[in-house]
Amino acid sequence: MLPLSLIVIVFEMGRELPRTLLSLSPPYQDFDPGDYEIVVIDNGSRAPARQQDFAHLKANIRVLSCSTRSPSPVAAINEGLSLARGSLIGVWIDGARMASPGLLRACAQAAALHPRPVIATPNYQLGPDLQRISSAQGYDQAEEDALLASIGWPRDGYRLFDIATPEIRGGPFGAMLESNALFLPRALWDELGGYDEAFQEPGGGVANPDTLLRAVALPDTQLIRIFGEGTFHQIHGGLSTSTQERAIQMLKEASRTYLRLRGKPLVPVRARGWVYDSRTGMVTR
Amino acid sequence: MNDPNKIDPAILKAWMANYICGVLGLDRAAFSTADRFDTYGLDSVEAVIMAGVMEEEFQVIVDPHRFFDTPSIDEFTAVFTAPAV
Repeated sequence: MLPLSLIVIVFEMGRELPRTLLSLSPPYQDFDPGDYEIVVIDNGSRAPARQQDFAHLKANIRVLSCSTRSPSPVAAINEGLSLARGSLIGVWIDGARMASPGLLRACAQAAALHPRPVIATPNYQLGPDLQRISSAQGYDQAEEDALLASIGWPRDGYRLFDIATPEIRGGPFGAMLESNALFLPRALWDELGGYDEAFQEPGGGVANPDTLLRAVALPDTQLIRIFGEGTFHQIHGGLSTSTQERAIQMLKEASRTYLRLRGKPLVPVRARGWVYDSRTGMVTR
Repeated sequence: MNDPNKIDPAILKAWMANYICGVLGLDRAAFSTADRFDTYGLDSVEAVIMAGVMEEEFQVIVDPHRFFDTPSIDEFTAVFTAPAV
């Protein structure tokens, strides 16, 4: 068994996936390539991701096509979970998210702090505002490319924080609706039953928030928030980041679906949990 | 879908107060429906989610922008349940 698996779901991300995988590669993460694998599952792109395109990264990458067809990424995630060989598994529901350079190490170290950890990394979006807002003011892929060039990415990956907007609005320990790089031990993913395939909407609706909520509700688990690292969303026309109106409509419909499925309203995770500061290695309990 | 002006404003007001107190863990007895949503700490994401839940509960269409135009329970219920002109 490997120490770590990453599952990265992609759909029509020919521009974004190379950066995401570079940001997860061994030199960028300063992580031993023998200690982890990256399982990329393409969920039906017209031009699917190809393994040979990432050979130069010298990473243990498998690029696969999802065996079922669905606009929801949930089945693809569960397929990835079934294939993953790591004792700790991180799920990227959205392969358009680049990582900061210490993210894998921080999550691995946080996992050692508790026998049943639920490790949540914070979400950021590249650009001057949340992309559903900035896109209406002209922010697009070309501007994003220029922004990344302006910080010389990938030379110092931490400069991503200089050109990004946090999704959590109430400060780093505010209410968290979801984490787009969520790490759980293999046993907890099994106990959880993976992602719930009842979420069949395009993009999965609120399958990701649902997974976080169910994970922290498992008995004796400990939420651990990672501070000082994050994932950074590249603009690509995703459902919740393309326009304000689309994002509002998607979330409203998804909250109705959640209520029907779970019999209670969707709520963000308000518990602060433990905080692992990747810059100091300190944990605040 | 139902017509919003068929909803009893007092019932809607109580529902919203209970919903917000439940979601945010606030004391219902100390809660004022005249206060602005943002003073409770209800953020825009949670407001959109509330709109969806309200649609399920009352079978009405709720435009979440209305929470920003009429940013308290009292203001919202008065406008939302008013007969269309």
